[in-house]
Amino acid sequence: MMAVGHEEDGCEFQFNNIGLGQPSQRPIGVGEMDIDTSYHGSTFVKNNTLVNNIGKVVCDLRNLGFTSMTEDAYASSILLLLKDKVHDLAGDDYRTPVLGSIKEWIQAVPLQFLHALLVYLGDSPAQDNESSGLKSPLASSPSYPGIEMPSEGLVRWQLRLEYFAYETLQDLRIGKLFEIIVDYPESSPAIEDLKQCLEYTGQHSKLVDSFISSLRYRLLTAGASTNDILHQYVSTIKALRTIDPTGVFLEAVGEPIRDYLRGRKDTIKCIVTMLTDGSGGNSTGAGNSGDSLLEELNRDAENQESADYDDDTNLDDKQAWINAERWEPDPVEADPSKGSRNRRKIDILGMIVGIIGSKDQLVNEYRVMLAEKLLNKSDYDIDSEIRTLELLKIHFGEGSMQKCEIMLNDLIDSKRTNANIKASILQPPAPGSEQEETCLSLDHLDSTIISSNFWPTIQAESLNIPTVVEQLLSDYARRFHEIKTPRKLLWKKNLGTVKLELQFEDRSMQFTVSPMHAVIIMQFQEQTSWTSKNLAAAIGVPTDTLNKRINFWISKGVLAESVGSDSDNHIFTIVSDMVDPNKTGINNTRCEGILAMDEECERSVASVEEQLRKEMTVYEKFIVGMLTNFGSMTLDRIHNTLKMFCVAEPSYDKSLQQLQSFLSGLISEEKLEMREGLYVLKK
Amino acid sequence: MTRRENQDVQDNIPPAVDTAPSAAKQPAPAAKGLDGQSVLKRLQSELMSLMMCGDPGISAFPEGDNIFCWKGTITGSKDTVYEGMIYKLSFSFPTDYPFKPPKVKFETTCFHPNVDIYGNICLDILQDKWSSAYDVRTVLLSIQSLLGEPNNESPLNTQAAALWVNQEEFRKMVEKLYKPA
Repeated sequence: MMAVGHEEDGCEFQFNNIGLGQPSQRPIGVGEMDIDTSYHGSTFVKNNTLVNNIGKVVCDLRNLGFTSMTEDAYASSILLLLKDKVHDLAGDDYRTPVLGSIKEWIQAVPLQFLHALLVYLGDSPAQDNESSGLKSPLASSPSYPGIEMPSEGLVRWQLRLEYFAYETLQDLRIGKLFEIIVDYPESSPAIEDLKQCLEYTGQHSKLVDSFISSLRYRLLTAGASTNDILHQYVSTIKALRTIDPTGVFLEAVGEPIRDYLRGRKDTIKCIVTMLTDGSGGNSTGAGNSGDSLLEELNRDAENQESADYDDDTNLDDKQAWINAERWEPDPVEADPSKGSRNRRKIDILGMIVGIIGSKDQLVNEYRVMLAEKLLNKSDYDIDSEIRTLELLKIHFGEGSMQKCEIMLNDLIDSKRTNANIKASILQPPAPGSEQEETCLSLDHLDSTIISSNFWPTIQAESLNIPTVVEQLLSDYARRFHEIKTPRKLLWKKNLGTVKLELQFEDRSMQFTVSPMHAVIIMQFQEQTSWTSKNLAAAIGVPTDTLNKRINFWISKGVLAESVGSDSDNHIFTIVSDMVDPNKTGINNTRCEGILAMDEECERSVASVEEQLRKEMTVYEKFIVGMLTNFGSMTLDRIHNTLKMFCVAEPSYDKSLQQLQSFLSGLISEEKLEMREGLYVLKK
Repeated sequence: MTRRENQDVQDNIPPAVDTAPSAAKQPAPAAKGLDGQSVLKRLQSELMSLMMCGDPGISAFPEGDNIFCWKGTITGSKDTVYEGMIYKLSFSFPTDYPFKPPKVKFETTCFHPNVDIYGNICLDILQDKWSSAYDVRTVLLSIQSLLGEPNNESPLNTQAAALWVNQEEFRKMVEKLYKPA
């Protein structure tokens, strides 16, 4: 035998060669070979001279005393092959489960080879038992195709190979977990595979570390939109819920995302949009993110009853026993401070709300968005809002959604009142009394009557509206007072929408605009040219507001702007004939949906940020007050003192982190200083 | 003891019923039990308005977790001998506030005709002229103006009263005795 005389290196080389040579020996490809070998396993054993040759070499080497080395050699070549196989099967496709086929392959190829080899070497089961003495409880002998009595050695080989396969696949999947979760739920087979691997290997912490670092690197960066992050967060929750129902690892992975999101200003807004808009509410195309949260709300509603049942303490003994039997300890990585698995329900909404800290903020943001939406409605159709509110009520409790409910009821009442008031004119038309030529009939007016105590702060803006409309409004208010004595209607004249038609000599145009825009253009009815100062005075708004709003009409080609003698007193003139050629074609065009909500255009409702700023000025005064009297204070003490004494409206309800960031803001405004961990007033 | 806790929880019980047993031991809390809630509210709203009005040179804030004890701060007005000096005060509110005046003392040594070496202040509105219409803010403002316009008719510190005529010497004394907190 040639090999006998060789040095160690030579032997190893030769074995590797043989090991790797195995697949190439059948050039049809690996997939083919599966079938081949599993069906003709016995032929493989009997006829393959290669196995015999290897066996011979191994035997000879054993005789030389290289037992462990030879085993290492063929083991490493098999593992290498297995690794290639796993990579080949798993690849970048997350839509099909691969674990099953890997296991089949292990049965079909390497185990057959090893069986043949072991048979050749004459390792009898008894011999093996003697040498190892270990008998794994997992080694319940499964059926080996073509092998009647698996030897102990073969079983151990199988366990070893499977473990290796699990670990390889697990590493592969963990490395790509970020992509897998991006594709979730399409990638759920990959998640399922990973779950099985992890159950076998128990290397969950590897997953946590690797995933957190890829999150930091790829998601939690300034470039990612808040919506995308939230979407990924939801997918992460769902995916990890499959892998680890106890939620321990989810806790660890979710923390950096939550921390990061807390630092983003638009987080709350995005969450509320995701919660309420079935369409996802954003243009990034992540359409199903919104769906999934609304869906989650729905599911939550359905689960409510069963959850109630769960909480019921009257479980019968049998059930209690079953529960007790099913108990498993928390994974070792569990943070004991987070409570045990029974209390740690994985609730996506809960985790989303957890980002913000308190549901109150979320509810508040929702209220503002709802108000905005309702105020811009011209019909009274609020079915979808009612549905969403009902779902939110189930999740957040009736109490916290009460104001929102009143807002919706206001809309419903408005519809009724509106109908009643209109009915009241039909009865006595009061002949002759209201025959003025320009009088608008009440038919043109629909009102939204709100209980302002329950609505978010509404931005008031004074506005001189044309007398005709003014009359109409006061007439409406009078009728309202008649019907609803002692209540009176106070108009918010800057809110609402106006549908109007502009008639020129050669064309007419229809618009749906805000009252401010309508008032502006109506001024041009009598006078075709205005200077900005005069116009602003006539309308009763500041000049810069006017300049901002009038741009709408300029952009529509209805008005033209020219610089007058005074640089900040522009002249606006109505464009009587369309000179612009591409605009002549649009006679009778309906310009729809243009509530002229340009990006920075005033919103009718004070945003949550503004409310927050208002609250914070109160806190600022308190902080200055306490620092004046106590000199220096720690963050904790300021927090506690605010909690204790800032109890009147708006009472202090911020978290320590929020306070800290607020105080840092005051430091950057040079109102405060930080000295050795204590806050002091800046002199 | 349990009775007292009970009382805090349900303050709609007629006070006569359960103030009786505790009143024997502790008369002061009995008064608090009567309308402790309203004193608390009053002090809280005073704090709120004091914080919001933001008068320059005066400030006060409850100390620790007890809203009945406040710390105050007064800066000496411009063009007085006390200009630029910062004085600390302590307020202690009785449980029947605002029907009784708060006890106000200087914590910082203040050389002034109407302030003694222990910091006691001789000010009519803090004694017989007190009215429930006054509040922390008006007390602070009165003390601030008292600094510039002492009442030399009824001095607590006769040396200061005598020296008042000589403003330059007086300022020197104020500076000499001033110990910032």
